[in-house]
Amino acid sequence: MDHLTALENKSIFIIREAYFRFRNIAMLWSVGKDSTTLLWLVRKAFFGEVPFPIIHIDTTYKFPEMYRFRDEYAKKWGLNLIVGRNEGQVEAGMGPGKGTKLDCCNELKTNALKQIIEKNGFKALLLGIRRDEHGIRAKERVFSPRDENFKWDYENQPAELWDQYKSTAAEDNHFRVHPILHMTELDIWKYMKREKIPLTELYLSKNGKRYRSIGCAPCCSPIESTASNVDEIIAELESTHTSERAGRAQDKEDAYTMQKLRSLGYM
Amino acid sequence: MEERALHIVIVGSVDHGKSTLIGRLFFDSGSLPPEKLAEIKRVCEELGRPLEFAYVMDNLEEERTRGITIDIAHTFFTTPKRKYVIIDAPGHKEFLKNMISGSSQAEAAILLVEITRGIQEQTLRHCYILSLLGIKQVAVTVNKMDLVGYSEAAFLDLKKRIEEVTMKYGITPSYIIPISAMEGENVAKASEKLSWYKGPTVLEALDNFEEMKIEEKGARFPVQDTYEISGQKIVAGRIEAGRLREGQELWVLPGKTKAKVASIKKYLEPDLKEAQTGECVGLILEGVDVKRGDILSETLSPTITRTVHANIFWMIDKDYKLGIPLTFKCATQEARGKIERIRRSFDPASEKEAVTDAVSISQAEVAEVDITLSAEVAIERFSDIPELGRFVLEHDGRPVAGGIII
Amino acid sequence: MDLSKKVFVLGIDGAPETLLAEYVEQGVMPNLKNILSGGYDLVQMDASIPDVSSTSWASFMTGVNPGEHGIYGFMELLPNTYRLTFPNYASVKAPALWDIIGGTSGIKASTLADKFKGRVPNNLRSIVINMPETFPAPALNGVLTSGFVCPDLKKGTYPESAYEYLRSINYIMDIEASNASDKPDAFFDEALLALNKRAEAFLHFMDNERWDLFIGVVTETDRLHHFFFDAARDKTHKYHERFVFFYTRMDDIIGRVFERFMASTNGRGLFMTMSDHGFAPIRKEVYLNRLFVEKGLLTLDPAREYFEQIGAGSKAFVMDPGRIYINFEGRYPGGAVSARDRSSVVNEIKSILIDLKDSDGNAVINRVYDGTELYSGDESARSPDLVAVGNDGFDIKGNIKKPQAFGTSHFRGMHTRHDAHCVMPSGTAPLGRLHIENIASIILERFI
Repeated sequence: MDHLTALENKSIFIIREAYFRFRNIAMLWSVGKDSTTLLWLVRKAFFGEVPFPIIHIDTTYKFPEMYRFRDEYAKKWGLNLIVGRNEGQVEAGMGPGKGTKLDCCNELKTNALKQIIEKNGFKALLLGIRRDEHGIRAKERVFSPRDENFKWDYENQPAELWDQYKSTAAEDNHFRVHPILHMTELDIWKYMKREKIPLTELYLSKNGKRYRSIGCAPCCSPIESTASNVDEIIAELESTHTSERAGRAQDKEDAYTMQKLRSLGYM
Repeated sequence: MEERALHIVIVGSVDHGKSTLIGRLFFDSGSLPPEKLAEIKRVCEELGRPLEFAYVMDNLEEERTRGITIDIAHTFFTTPKRKYVIIDAPGHKEFLKNMISGSSQAEAAILLVEITRGIQEQTLRHCYILSLLGIKQVAVTVNKMDLVGYSEAAFLDLKKRIEEVTMKYGITPSYIIPISAMEGENVAKASEKLSWYKGPTVLEALDNFEEMKIEEKGARFPVQDTYEISGQKIVAGRIEAGRLREGQELWVLPGKTKAKVASIKKYLEPDLKEAQTGECVGLILEGVDVKRGDILSETLSPTITRTVHANIFWMIDKDYKLGIPLTFKCATQEARGKIERIRRSFDPASEKEAVTDAVSISQAEVAEVDITLSAEVAIERFSDIPELGRFVLEHDGRPVAGGIII
Repeated sequence: MDLSKKVFVLGIDGAPETLLAEYVEQGVMPNLKNILSGGYDLVQMDASIPDVSSTSWASFMTGVNPGEHGIYGFMELLPNTYRLTFPNYASVKAPALWDIIGGTSGIKASTLADKFKGRVPNNLRSIVINMPETFPAPALNGVLTSGFVCPDLKKGTYPESAYEYLRSINYIMDIEASNASDKPDAFFDEALLALNKRAEAFLHFMDNERWDLFIGVVTETDRLHHFFFDAARDKTHKYHERFVFFYTRMDDIIGRVFERFMASTNGRGLFMTMSDHGFAPIRKEVYLNRLFVEKGLLTLDPAREYFEQIGAGSKAFVMDPGRIYINFEGRYPGGAVSARDRSSVVNEIKSILIDLKDSDGNAVINRVYDGTELYSGDESARSPDLVAVGNDGFDIKGNIKKPQAFGTSHFRGMHTRHDAHCVMPSGTAPLGRLHIENIASIILERFI
């Protein structure tokens, strides 16, 4: 079995486990490449159908291309789309210019999601996160229990072996399920290419820039790139080891600087 | 080069030189990005120290604790033959659960022993876990040979002891390799200082390991779920052994009824006549109604039983006392039960004698037990069909033990 | 070749004029004494406001005020946020001396560069060693290795051959200041070692490179002062001897580079030593953010980090050392002060600070400057609204996490604005009190 097929089967197995275990589940779809790949896998798992709601958290600050893409494929794929908006805060004018960025994310994303979970009583959410995305994610489990405050107790996670995913315990309010945790950014692009999964044009280079990840327009900035199709993105990723590191180099330098300044009594 | 990466777990105490070995593997296989290497070199030179490869891993750990991106190159390294994923060691508090969770994904292991310290508690425990998890491809590296002047006699002494211990725990090391990770002896290049050793280097040993082969066996298909789609009942699951063909007749276990595969379904693949091990498919069956937990089997070789005889490894810090209810989960089967008898239990890390007919099992202990269940299950010996020969025990929704059917 | 058109500047970070004068008098610094008796003056000099190394060195290297060069401290907030960022050489908006004489100003411009445009050559080579606030190293006409803060020697050094050389001598970018309190002997050892490496690098580049302007900076003095300034004059202090010994080694180096420089220019080159600020013993550390909280000017959310703690409705906050920023609407996400209320908030802050006394009744604040009176230029819009300068002994801090307005710590020395020094040939100094921004002109005059 080839590499991408093996990854696909692993994901489908997890999706079906989650659906069997909870039935009352939903999937978070950001319209980005990872969650669109996940949505594709869900359709494959259920023979072209999507038997549960797909949640899109709308902060009202997304790119217009994202709204267009969402509506087009929600219709094409017959999705039961739930658009989650923290109406109270949206009306109150919450936005990246008002509170801190954190306030904005908290209100427009996290609290919007909380409201939806409470209203619909979802027992599990499928999420398109990957282990290679972020340091702390290397520690994630496939079935990750959360308490009623959405808290992830990452220092005390359950064992997870042999595709046996944890059952629900008393303290588990709901589960986050991560069917593409084992895929890398490059795997995603190669799989999208093989499967011809649609994507928003924001990922493709226009005037020498493209987005590597997409979210709310005010908080996203494009990277320098000439990759204008998936093949070129794959080629770019296979050779841009350094540019990925460049962003991190900045973090390292900042950390060094902070340590130095602190040692001299600043900060 | 092979696209798929071989998953290897490296086990052994930190002070046995694990970080240094991992750093060495990255460095000597050329998988360390040049700017990373330059940075490590600079740091070491500024500190007036020789190049320390442990810095590769220490940097990773620092990155992790600070919560910044882990670069994929850090967890992958590449030889001309294939890619490898290094499965990282677990943190301390979570040691057992994570050690087992991580090792359960590995196809091969490197067990690290330090020449001057020899076999230690952790070594014994790790050995046993590898054995329990059925990891057959194990290379033992005897590290810090530089500390004993690359003495063959010292190595042979420890080698003998390693062979005794691994044999006792049911592991046959593919290789026992004298190395100095710090000096790079026998990691990627054959050591002149260890010229009395004629076997492979660590990298050669890894390249000799094989991906888990899919053996030709009779088909096993644990039913995962059933869906009604377009008026058809589709039976979903993953083929855990063998292959399925259209028209094939299968036993439905544990009820021992028969069903026929009318067709095999995968989305966007309309004319599927056959599917192989590892594939998630849907089946349209004729003859009998099935549900999650049923095992479709080509033969009647699985054992149908309410009693499971197994070795288990207790993972949590609360003791098990005879009679406490548990949930038994094997493939898609789930049944309630309890441990009826603890034939013997012991701590693999200690030299103490096993306790026979024990009444409790504590964290990190291993026990040979009889589990009685409230319903029949179809199981097999782990050595025959691993997917039906291993299980997890839960208590109140929390995984507490892993087990292997003997 | 005109040997008089060569300039050597030895920077001695944080070396106070008053202390040097005493050490010369006491015979601790015989080489400096020789130089002074041979036609050179030791002059007291004003540092920049605020008197922090990044700002002061930027004023030295560009010869203009922070309103033009844009460096107000080691930290800034990202525009329209309370998130910290660390300005580096990319943030220095005015051309440095080596740009002006080396033809590498690019699009950078300043009043000083304009003044000397066409009057000085643009093909002169500079060697710049351990200059703070120059990371990452620019591609200059010459050699540069960055000083504090330099997180990466390679990126901090131009060209690569210079980096290779520095590596080969195990050059020390910066010493481990965190050793000072628990491993003081190791701290002194490392400071001496670093000093030797700097001297070794100075002499190497003096001999092996072609150059017109040489700027070599020693930063270990500043480190020593932060932790042991109380040992500078107190003969009973446990580390007095080690402190003084460090200055005798510093004096050796002054003597050696002076001699080497004079030999190579037949005594005609321009030699100077200077510091970016002075030092005084600390009596109290003063945490103005806490004071602002107590006075109702500032609310903090302790669950957040650093300046992201600033709560909605806050009127003002403080960043190191005494930079006061008014929480203006439109400038910050939680801005609460409208532009027309500026003068009332300014007056409120000023009166609070002017009245501030410690528990013994001593006045804490020497003066509160208005940013508009201090700074002019394209970068002055980003300047602090006010800058509080403390009386000697009161170290003004921007720390946001302190539970009290006054405290003490393991630090023993604080920067002072008025006691920087400059050693220069008699008659070189302009009339009036010398300011760090004047030095660049003195150097450039030499190249006309």
